[in-house]
Amino acid sequence: MEDMKLSRSAMIAITVLRVVVGWHFLYEGVAKLTSASWSAAGYMKVSRGPFAAFFHWIASQPQLLDKANLITSYGLTIIGVLLILGLFTRVAAVGGIALVLLFYLCNPPFVGYFYSIPSEGSYLIVNKNLVEVCALAVILLTRSGLFAGLDRIVRGLVFRRVHPARIAAA
Amino acid sequence: MGSEDQPKKIDRRDVLKGLSTLPALGLFGYAWQKQRAYQQARAIEAAAPAQAPADLQVINIALLGAGAQGQVLTDAMLRIPGLRFRAVCDIWTEYNLKRVVNSLKRFKHEPNAYDDYREMLDKEKELDAVIVATPDFWHSPHAVDCLKAGKHVYCEKEMSNTLEGARRMVAAQRESGKLLQIGHQRRSNPRYLHCYHKLLHDAHLLGRIVTVYGQWNRGVTPDLGAPDRYVIPQARLTQYGFTDMHQFRNWRWYKGKGGGPIVDLGSHQIDIYSWYLGANPSQVMASGGNLYYDPKTHEWYDTVMAVYDYDTPAGPAKAYYSTQTTNGSQGYFENFMGDQGTLLISESEVNYAGQLYRDPNAPAWDEWVQKGYVTAPKEQETKAKNDSGAIADVRESVAPDQHTVPVTLRDPYHQPHLQNFFDAIRGKARLNCPAEEAFQTAVAVLKVNDAIEAKMPLAFKPEDFKV
Repeated sequence: MEDMKLSRSAMIAITVLRVVVGWHFLYEGVAKLTSASWSAAGYMKVSRGPFAAFFHWIASQPQLLDKANLITSYGLTIIGVLLILGLFTRVAAVGGIALVLLFYLCNPPFVGYFYSIPSEGSYLIVNKNLVEVCALAVILLTRSGLFAGLDRIVRGLVFRRVHPARIAAA
Repeated sequence: MGSEDQPKKIDRRDVLKGLSTLPALGLFGYAWQKQRAYQQARAIEAAAPAQAPADLQVINIALLGAGAQGQVLTDAMLRIPGLRFRAVCDIWTEYNLKRVVNSLKRFKHEPNAYDDYREMLDKEKELDAVIVATPDFWHSPHAVDCLKAGKHVYCEKEMSNTLEGARRMVAAQRESGKLLQIGHQRRSNPRYLHCYHKLLHDAHLLGRIVTVYGQWNRGVTPDLGAPDRYVIPQARLTQYGFTDMHQFRNWRWYKGKGGGPIVDLGSHQIDIYSWYLGANPSQVMASGGNLYYDPKTHEWYDTVMAVYDYDTPAGPAKAYYSTQTTNGSQGYFENFMGDQGTLLISESEVNYAGQLYRDPNAPAWDEWVQKGYVTAPKEQETKAKNDSGAIADVRESVAPDQHTVPVTLRDPYHQPHLQNFFDAIRGKARLNCPAEEAFQTAVAVLKVNDAIEAKMPLAFKPEDFKV
């Protein structure tokens, strides 16, 4: 597997995937940051499934809820910018997976669950959140920031400082 | 990934590929700005007041109390033409004050911000009116001082948490000669006005009203809190009569501050009982308690059931009211039952928005359908079954026809009542709920909590309702 190389067109496709996922994160983040009344409380209050008690508890604690709101809105925004730029891509992908997994576990579309929240589609086990988690896993494992993104420049700068002799010999 | 994994000197190709996705961020910024501009235009359009006549007198107003209810009133007032917000005052400068001032600036108002209402009254000489939406125990001092300063006042209900405070408000209104409207907003709701004037008085559709039933079912909710970064300093909380932030955020549940659900919710509906029956109650008996919440943090009763006796001009009537804190199913409504029909009504445009039932023994309502007072009847399913040949139990009454009240309110619920207040300031209307009227409701409602404690019926004397 280590020797397996992805074609240039595959890497371009993954880079496009990274940018559109980043775009989605970024807009979700800024929309929350610029909304005076947004809070995660509503989403947490309707939580069901194995972790429902945990999310209900957070929603009932003003301090925790305030932190959850900050982490969600700023987290989505920062991760979105990093994914679009291809900067610290792997860190951003891991952060994105953690956030979206929490969204998924808060209201999972498991068998027998019927949500009254309006939804634009029909889901069973797999929903948009889980698909986005998988997309982020692909971005994480293929290191698309090194193909097209600021990671490529950052890595070059870091290598020049850490291994000046190897760079000079190259 | 080929050569991307190998360390090498940065060349032009690396820089180009490294920056290749940067334009996407620029594109996002452009799209976001477009979206923001669109959303703001829509918000301004939605909140924009109707076109104001050129000669409309501009009324300079201040909002005193910028909490949840203050925000509701502000949203409604933004749709009323001819108003200019000059000031906003709230002791929660860390949150409420900033939020409302910023939201008003988005609509091109330039209000000055205050945390001390006396300072506001001293400095804002051009104010015509003050909208008071503070906790109940501040209503009387705030309204009295504003009236004495020569301002017209719209004050949220309950008028006051004490009858002494309510009396001082009526007295201050009389002395100042200024207007004092109390926020029983159903009094200006076009559906309630239609039912009162057309259905009950013109057409007498219900006949003699004998019983009334109303309720407000509300779901249990966690106490309101506040993140540390928004907490009000203790000195300011103490200065304004609160022991701590929990009491400030949940004042409605504390004795000496609010009156509990019977006052917060029941007050609106019991006000309608007396208005529609044309009388004040002669007696009340009530039961209540903290069936769900901890009495240490919820001093007032979360569940109340009250029965009023009325001696109406048409004869005796009984009215039951229930408010419970369990879940919100079946919501809130008032149900008036007369010997010729029933009116089921609520402020909600979604549930119980005005249904009428004509008893089969009552005179036909064809005339009132033709006049547009009520819609044409809709046969109920139970009646259709009876007519289809099934044998009805002799103990059952034949199901009445169902009609609908053909009046809806498309504006925010509080807008007509506020509009009535501003029309009255301009001399174009009479107040729909002046202080004397609201005082009578306060007498009827505040007595419920006394009756619960007394565990016996308490009588009203006619002079109780006079100031």
